[in-house]
Amino acid sequence: MTGPGSRRVWVVVAVLAGIHLLLRVGFSYGPGAPDLLTLALLLASREVGLGRAAGLGLLFGLLEDALSVLSFGANAVAMTVIACASALTKDLFVGDSRVFLVSYLLIGKWSRDVIHWVAVGWVEAGAGLRQPFVDQVVIQGGIASVYMAGVGILVAIASGFGAEA
Amino acid sequence: MAPYGTEPESNGRRRDLIAAGVFLVVAFSTLFLSQPTQQTISTGLQVSVLRPFMGVQRRLAAARIRAAQADSMLARIDSLSEMLASHSALVDENRTLRGLLELSERAGPQYLPATVLRPGTPGSESMFIVDVGRRDGIRNNAPVVGPFGLVGVIREVREGDAVGMDWTHPDFRASAMLEDGSAFGLVERDPGDFREEDRLVLNGIPFNLEVVEGAMVVTSGLGGIYPRGIPIGRVGGQNDAEGEWRKSYWLEPVVQPGAATHVLVLTEGASPGVSGLWAPDSIR
Repeated sequence: MTGPGSRRVWVVVAVLAGIHLLLRVGFSYGPGAPDLLTLALLLASREVGLGRAAGLGLLFGLLEDALSVLSFGANAVAMTVIACASALTKDLFVGDSRVFLVSYLLIGKWSRDVIHWVAVGWVEAGAGLRQPFVDQVVIQGGIASVYMAGVGILVAIASGFGAEA
Repeated sequence: MAPYGTEPESNGRRRDLIAAGVFLVVAFSTLFLSQPTQQTISTGLQVSVLRPFMGVQRRLAAARIRAAQADSMLARIDSLSEMLASHSALVDENRTLRGLLELSERAGPQYLPATVLRPGTPGSESMFIVDVGRRDGIRNNAPVVGPFGLVGVIREVREGDAVGMDWTHPDFRASAMLEDGSAFGLVERDPGDFREEDRLVLNGIPFNLEVVEGAMVVTSGLGGIYPRGIPIGRVGGQNDAEGEWRKSYWLEPVVQPGAATHVLVLTEGASPGVSGLWAPDSIR
């Protein structure tokens, strides 16, 4: 993807990533702030192609892992896998409705939390950090997915994402 | 005429697949990198891309402290003190700072006051960053204490700051004893079904010894990490008994890590015993 459309994607990604880090790291809001990094990744992955999406996922994952001392790599795996899967959905689903976008964001964010939970278990030092599946993934992950999808719709409307997705 | 018109698209697709495959392999390999390599990458990102955001957090924390100090002074000199004192968050922070100040005076220069920053990213639970580092004399495994007792321990020291873990971390262990020295054991975290249910357990107490509820448990000084005498928690009841030779007890921690915003960090060369620092009335 080239041209103004591509520029718009990268601008939205950069702005969302900046706000995410400002809210979560700068202001220490933690889960109180929506997961805008995953939102940016999910929105961009359907626009920029498989390779770039995977690279973006790896970069975002490493940024989050930089502050996750004992589960280093779990976010990188989760974000890269989600980026690849999201990029591939473009070949499988050509959604152009808000309903599709909400479902896509909900499933994308929840899948990211599931993969992260599984990947933390692979890290020997981080296994003890993992909370029970029901607590961390089903309850907290479910709420976070709804929260992120709600914000995602507003972002998509404001930035024009999904209108032609 | 272009009989092979789809070839460039096919090449681009192949390049995309190869790139994605490489990124996936790199992502999975990060899980299995050695800890020093992981720390190098983390530190690299923290001092580059994440630096402005961590700077914001640091400045906000400093601003909060300044605001608290200013409020505290105002509260002393004008008639608004009653109204301000009723503000529970401010009262709590004042109490913490005052307790820390008194403790700092008793502890002397071997303990450095520090502000606790908590990264809000997934996987960073139980970890915190303090704004003192190697240049201030902080070393790895330095104990971190608050006005009421043990908060945690430093895991990784950098030039200007350090990463620590609090007692809710699964790797947390502390050699401990009853305050009167009648029994020694090991304190570790017992994870609850939910994070808020995490508790501390004192293991290895002789079976024939009856420990009364409410007895204070302090660090024993064994193991060389924590100096002797730092309060950890109060005995809250018996947890388990192994055969007929030892028991374990629940502890009610004296420090709630989430409430620890200002702490003291032990510097190199500090004295091994700190029993006198926590006066009985300062321990909850």
